[in-house]
Amino acid sequence: MTREMIIEKLRNIFKMVNGNDNIEVDEATDLRTGLGLNSIGMLYMIIAIEENFGVRFENVSMGDFNTVSDVINYIEEQKK
Amino acid sequence: MQIKANLLEERFTSKETAQKMKKFSCISEMADHIFEEYKEKIALVDNGIEYTYSDIEKKVGAIRNALNENGIKEGDKVGIFYPNSADFVIAAMAVTSYGAVVVALPYHLDEKTLYGCTLKFQISALIYDSMSEEKVELAYKLNSNLKKILSDKIADGFAPSNKVSPDAPCAIVFTAGTTGQSKGALLSHKAILAGTMNGCMGFRDYDVFGQRYFLVLPLTHIFGYVRNMMTALYTGSSMYICRDTKNMFREIPTYNPTIMIMVPALAEMALGLTKMLGTKILGNSLKHIVAGAAVVAPRLAKEYNKLGVTLLAGYGLTESANLVTGNPDTLENPTSVGFLYPNQEIKVVDGELWLKGDNVFTEYYNDPEETAKSFEDGYFKTGDLVKFDDNGYMYIVGRIKDIIVLSSGENVAPEELESKFREIDCVRDCLIYKGTNESGNEALIFEMTPRMDVIKELGIEDVGAYCTQKVTEVNNTLLNYQKVSKIIIRTEDFERTPSMKIKRPKNIL
Repeated sequence: MTREMIIEKLRNIFKMVNGNDNIEVDEATDLRTGLGLNSIGMLYMIIAIEENFGVRFENVSMGDFNTVSDVINYIEEQKK
Repeated sequence: MQIKANLLEERFTSKETAQKMKKFSCISEMADHIFEEYKEKIALVDNGIEYTYSDIEKKVGAIRNALNENGIKEGDKVGIFYPNSADFVIAAMAVTSYGAVVVALPYHLDEKTLYGCTLKFQISALIYDSMSEEKVELAYKLNSNLKKILSDKIADGFAPSNKVSPDAPCAIVFTAGTTGQSKGALLSHKAILAGTMNGCMGFRDYDVFGQRYFLVLPLTHIFGYVRNMMTALYTGSSMYICRDTKNMFREIPTYNPTIMIMVPALAEMALGLTKMLGTKILGNSLKHIVAGAAVVAPRLAKEYNKLGVTLLAGYGLTESANLVTGNPDTLENPTSVGFLYPNQEIKVVDGELWLKGDNVFTEYYNDPEETAKSFEDGYFKTGDLVKFDDNGYMYIVGRIKDIIVLSSGENVAPEELESKFREIDCVRDCLIYKGTNESGNEALIFEMTPRMDVIKELGIEDVGAYCTQKVTEVNNTLLNYQKVSKIIIRTEDFERTPSMKIKRPKNIL
């Protein structure tokens, strides 16, 4: 799965988590200041990613993820 | 406006529930009763292990014995330091049924703050397990009077419970903040027990005894401690402890809870996930969700109703030991926070809700100034602006105190956070408040005025980009729920009070 394919899938997740279809997401987007995710929004994102990508977030904290790029890197790493 | 709610419990509970409800004068009375009455029933499920009420009693007795052997006396403060676990429940019941005062220490505290808390709350002993040894090391090094009780290494033994007066101090629960400066509300035995009984209110068509609870809220939060843990034990129910919230929707269908206590943001998230993953993620037995600790969007109750789940919205604070109002299951008015529960008195003064009752806290521990500011005429001034309709339903319309209550139920002390941002070289002044982001979702907003002298000296051209980068760096060091999600760089100064303080916006809910 390419980074572009991952981000496309993530866009749909962020739309759902954010309750907004018009959000703009690129790799540099900050999860909190760009997408407005609070602690429960982050949890929502992680559960949705686990279900949609078949990966598990183990031994990591939500504080480890600041931008969309951090999330993509983690998914790529888990998919290896 | 003044209302006295001394109505019979029957108005708020089913007949079956009212018949089973017992009034206890202290936690030891309640503990002795539940351990005898529900002996072989499952009390807790944690990490794949089931604990009956008898199992809990043995472990509680062993910790009481350890407290005794360490010379802990009635009224001494004992910190408990665990993540959500059976160990937390056992330690809390042991300390309070022994007659000591439990200090529920949030597990995310770092070692310095933990040490600060042992001083501020005059903690005589800490109970924890081997997993947390590193985190408590500093406290022991610097506070030589502190006694150490490692719950996974204590000797066999059993000490009985000790009866204390209903007014005796029982628990200290944090109200907000994560530093040693945060306030700890001291609640008496009668306050905790009144809050525990309030957990039975609202179910007019349903027996709340013998339920299956699923715990996701932190046990150090009043809603987790009293509404979830204490009410579950009081009603002889069983409680599944979810150790990692990201696994909750995998674990719910295996346990099939009947009641869940949630903060609104979690209830909202669960609803969103049912649309993606199906309603199976809520299990097949869920009947009620009790939502409080923050404002509940009215549409949530309607949406859950379609799934056959009744969502009961209510209102309460740490200082009131649990919900004090709630919507009964037969008379929902989801735009309101329901009726005032029995055995309380309230006053509405200039729109602010004042509370009086057994459930109201005694003081902010070791903080006479804040305590004095919070009480008047025997009432606790909640800081919440309310209104009532002709049918007696209460509505929250705003907040006049500075503590921000998020929909996640977490409380943020803005001044504490602002002081961290003020350390940035380019920040002259700043303000944090609750608002909405571009998507219309709840957000912590950060506004600042830049120090143009510093900006000039550094030769910075793009003021906004530089300030945003610096603010983001500090933001990334904060706990997740404290992070701001919108940054505004002001070109004009803040609006100020006559004493030149920044005028803080009312946090409209």
